[in-house]
Amino acid sequence: MVIRIAAVGDVHLDEDVVGRFRPALDELPEHADALLLAGDLTRHGTEAEARCVATEFGGLGVPVVTVLGNHDHQCDQVPQVVKVLEDAGITVLEGDGVVLDCAGGRLGVAGVKGFGGGFAGRCASDFGEPEMKAFVRTTTQSADALSAALRGLDCDVRVALTHYSPVPDTLAGEPLEIYPFLGSYQLGQAIDSAPTALALHGHAHAGTERGTTPGGVRVRNVAHPVIKQAYSVFHLGDNLGHAQVSGVGGSGIQQSWS
Amino acid sequence: MTEHRDVATGPPDEYVEAEVHRLLTEDPDVAEQGITVVRRERGLMLYGEVESPHRREEILRRVAERFPDVPITIDIGVIRAQAPTEIEQLP
Repeated sequence: MVIRIAAVGDVHLDEDVVGRFRPALDELPEHADALLLAGDLTRHGTEAEARCVATEFGGLGVPVVTVLGNHDHQCDQVPQVVKVLEDAGITVLEGDGVVLDCAGGRLGVAGVKGFGGGFAGRCASDFGEPEMKAFVRTTTQSADALSAALRGLDCDVRVALTHYSPVPDTLAGEPLEIYPFLGSYQLGQAIDSAPTALALHGHAHAGTERGTTPGGVRVRNVAHPVIKQAYSVFHLGDNLGHAQVSGVGGSGIQQSWS
Repeated sequence: MTEHRDVATGPPDEYVEAEVHRLLTEDPDVAEQGITVVRRERGLMLYGEVESPHRREEILRRVAERFPDVPITIDIGVIRAQAPTEIEQLP
């Protein structure tokens, strides 16, 4: 049983980018059962930019599931952005999940934007000024929603989708000083609260691809500047041998891995 | 692409570096959080990657407008958007 997932984040669409991804996206249904977008679909979060996203990522022939990112909130037009995306058939997650029937089984995706706060031992605390408490509580609420959504999925394979990072591993390359603005350990804790197979995030443009949560869940930073291709493809299955764990197909994505 | 602008007028101070960094994010014509600003002996160096050549040109234009006396070197690439040639297999 194999489920094939394509993923990318931080595509920052506007009129000047429309069409750049499309040649690669037209091939996507041959190689993936679904496309997951890890937020920051737009530059400023306007309805017009969301229409660019709908043009580029709509009508692909496979389900497209997304969370929003911080850029998608910039112009305070989130309801309009969500409507444009949903009208284009794109599922927008925020504290909820979706189960997709794929040839290899039922893929469950739970998603939140997430928020910052930092990582264990070096994080913001729910203490002091109202602004600081509001900051940390935003993160906690987001993580709690992700945990509940993951645990509520009735599926064969669980994937967590966030914009902010759940681990520091995939931030390597970013300045240490800004880690608290890039993610929070509570998201990792939420991912570890359910039998999650894979966690995907974006946001950290100068980060690195691979990491794991403290509970051992694989984490991948799929921000476009990190993966440097239109999308990455992951094959999730329960019958791969140890020699194949995290291996990479050597002769193209048409390669049969089994 | 590397572009040089202006003559060296001495190293810009830390506040200019901070202002350029914030301008890159907060200026609606730029709105980039992924550009790194580094203070060098001969001026500021901006590097990173953007989604289109137009955005790279906008960065140079806006920074030059705002800080006409600061020598700026820009080395910003456009992110490739080709289909992947490899997969990652996860058990």
